[in-house]
Amino acid sequence: MEGLVLALLGIILAPMAGGLLAGTDRRVTAWMQSRQGPPILQAFYDVFKLFGKERLMVNRWQVLCCWIYLIAAALSVGLFFGKADLLLIFFVQAAGAVFLVMGALSVKSPYSQVGAQRELVQILTYEPLLILVFAGIYLVVGSFNVGDIMAYDAPLLRKLPLMFIVLSYALTIKLRKSPFDFSTSHHAHQEIVKGVLTEYSGPALAIIEVAHWYETILILAVCSLFWATNWFWMIVLLAATYFAELVIDNTMARMTWRWMLKYVWSIGLALTFINFIWLHAG
Amino acid sequence: MSNLLLLLIVLPAIAGLVCYFVRSSSVRTLTVTATGAVLTAASLALLGQGSFVFEASGLWESLVTVLDFALLFVVLYYGFKLKNLLIKVLTVTQIVLLGFFELFMLDHGVSVPALMGDNLALVMVLIVSIIGSLICIFGIPYMKEHEHHLNLKKSKQPQFFLFLVLFLGAMNGLVLANNILWLYFFFEVTTFCSFMLIGHDGTEVATKNATRALWMNSVGGVALVLGIIFAYLQTGTLGIVEMLAAGPAAGALLVAVGLICLAGFVKAAQLPFQSWLLGAMVAPTPVSALLHSSTMVKAGVYMVLRFSPMYEGTFLSHGIALCGAFTFLACAALAIGQSNGKKILAYSTVSNLGLIIACAGINTPLAIIAAVMLIIFHAISKSLLFLCVGTIEQAIGSRDIENMRGLFKSMPRTAVVTIIGILSMLLPPFGVLLCKWMALEAAADHLFVIVMLALGSALTVVYWARWAGLLMGGRRIESTPEKQPLFTRGPLMLLCAGALVFAFATPFLYREALVPMFAAAHAASHGNILDAATGGFAIYPFIMLIGVGALFAMYRALRSDVRRTSPYLGGAHVGDIEDGSFLGPMETAVPYQASNYYLGEVFGELRLTPWFNIAAGGLIILMLGGAL
Repeated sequence: MEGLVLALLGIILAPMAGGLLAGTDRRVTAWMQSRQGPPILQAFYDVFKLFGKERLMVNRWQVLCCWIYLIAAALSVGLFFGKADLLLIFFVQAAGAVFLVMGALSVKSPYSQVGAQRELVQILTYEPLLILVFAGIYLVVGSFNVGDIMAYDAPLLRKLPLMFIVLSYALTIKLRKSPFDFSTSHHAHQEIVKGVLTEYSGPALAIIEVAHWYETILILAVCSLFWATNWFWMIVLLAATYFAELVIDNTMARMTWRWMLKYVWSIGLALTFINFIWLHAG
Repeated sequence: MSNLLLLLIVLPAIAGLVCYFVRSSSVRTLTVTATGAVLTAASLALLGQGSFVFEASGLWESLVTVLDFALLFVVLYYGFKLKNLLIKVLTVTQIVLLGFFELFMLDHGVSVPALMGDNLALVMVLIVSIIGSLICIFGIPYMKEHEHHLNLKKSKQPQFFLFLVLFLGAMNGLVLANNILWLYFFFEVTTFCSFMLIGHDGTEVATKNATRALWMNSVGGVALVLGIIFAYLQTGTLGIVEMLAAGPAAGALLVAVGLICLAGFVKAAQLPFQSWLLGAMVAPTPVSALLHSSTMVKAGVYMVLRFSPMYEGTFLSHGIALCGAFTFLACAALAIGQSNGKKILAYSTVSNLGLIIACAGINTPLAIIAAVMLIIFHAISKSLLFLCVGTIEQAIGSRDIENMRGLFKSMPRTAVVTIIGILSMLLPPFGVLLCKWMALEAAADHLFVIVMLALGSALTVVYWARWAGLLMGGRRIESTPEKQPLFTRGPLMLLCAGALVFAFATPFLYREALVPMFAAAHAASHGNILDAATGGFAIYPFIMLIGVGALFAMYRALRSDVRRTSPYLGGAHVGDIEDGSFLGPMETAVPYQASNYYLGEVFGELRLTPWFNIAAGGLIILMLGGAL
């Protein structure tokens, strides 16, 4: 019962936190670029405005896909706060990501098609990293269950420092921050700006935006597991991580997917092996 | 009991002969359908009776021995006919080894039960009899259409259905065998049937691929005979149950088990033996569906699973896990580079079989349950997908997934069934994904295995997601809905319904059937893994929630207040919106064209296959060497 309440709380609070974070993100980014930037609540204003727009769609598959994307993202956050199994949470999240791609593929639009293919490469790049991070957590804690991991008596960061770096790669890709913003981008200087999202508009785009907030919160929640023993340090860790993401986003140029796949897989696997060997030796 | 066994093993052979000798199409249709119904009923009845051990009379024993040698000589005949040295050498080796064993080593005085049915065998019989029968029934209208395209003077269908139906009997025999020589006999029958079926069309490439399938599986045959002889020398018995009862093997016996597993690897088309199964797709679609889902390759994983108690906790077990995981990863990578639908399915089959074998190698109760569940779910989903591709291919004349773009427009029903089939290989709450999850949980302690499973799992998502995505699309469904014969639509719908129902029945199946069957001793610790996994949720409400969510999304999608618009082309589109063409340079209309990323420079087949084969060969040597 307690799990259910926590899950519901997570599902209700996550989009609020995610929206605030998106607003803060834009403010900090503006500060880095010596601009004033929009109000903190701008992300909410945008989404409410989108919900009020006319429903314009190329086909009905897109509606199906964007809703499943949202439901899967919300459900995975709910499962996390309800202290479920990390792998299960991951698979539910992945289902949503797959539907986002399928919706984009269902449209005869060059931008959307290219975006969808790139999104697939991004999924291909971050998925194994996430599974390996979870496997690392399992090796330390002996369980995939979020509740058990939270109950572990030392910060995981101490034993899995390299896995945290691996996770931050996945976070950067999942947040579609530069240099990994291939499928869709926040910056207007890329050759494909909205890619996978091109054919979503109005309420459907709003749904995707909310789903993206859920996903951001989910990945940050996974980050928070690395210092779950102390609220203060957990928040410091999360703030530092997100700030680092913003710095990376604003200082890196976009690369190509080939580079991403080779670079992230090789770095990620190397770090994983080293960290796992430490665990076995220690 | 003996009647049921006769029905399951001998009836298909008789039905096959009826198909062969009575050249009437209606008799054939009736025979195949009736056999399917009887097999289904008999397999369910056998399950109802539970585990058993069956002594066959001496007459049957002699019959199997005689047929075994007869079959080997038939294979040898084909070796000469095809002028293939490998087949000749491998078959003669088997004849000599087996003859020497029968004459000089085997103590004929001691009789062992010929057949036995435990939980694993009974589950396999269900899969073979039900899914196999559906595929045979699907084959009836398919082969009519197929021959219609070929303009044959004399129908080759009698021969086709002889081997197709016989295959089911041989598979049932293989999984029910207790006498390991019977297992070997049925192993050879499946090899021979698959050889005849792959070469059915008689084209040059069909003959070439059939020949390859025959010699590769003969390698498996030789490994199996050697394994049997070593195992008999060590244990003094031919009974599989008796061998398993002796507990974990060591020393020379472990080598014997390793060789038997190697035979299983060949049958399951594990790297580096994958090429025979890839070549098998030249055969008519029902053959591919049968080989890939319920028979043949499943015989391979069955053998590896069957002997898993004997290598528990040994280095051989680790080696098997590594080989399986590597195949899972490598074939998922190879599938990414493919646009041929059947080839994607083939690589995905090999990949999933690798996962099953990896589970067998991990060899914990959880992993074994995952392997058995994967056998069930994979059989349903993969047979469905093959039948879908076959149906699509006969309609659009291509098996390339690029040509299936927007298929929903012309074949809405088949497209939706295909999408469901693909999603059932990929997403929660479908069984295949749950098995993958259990496999990952079980593999978490094995460094190399978990890394390979993690990478392979991500690669799998890519090739499935893009295929499902491009089937969607199109909004104006063509006015005349697609027409299909009952025997085409029936199996498609039944298998699709099966995939959906099983998604919801998984927790029940897991808790009520599989845990008591395969992990009774560990039930206390493993009984609640599904509950624990979802934290505060019970698994059923969770699955219901996914179901309700999906229904809600469908409801939103079908609501009519969506205004249709054209895709965004920067304001440059010309002509009909549906065409998607846009105004290009020189004021000409550029037609819409799209294609997937096949990532050829990373995942090209020709580029990767040699390296993968070398690596897989190395792993197999490692595995067998570890048994020494």
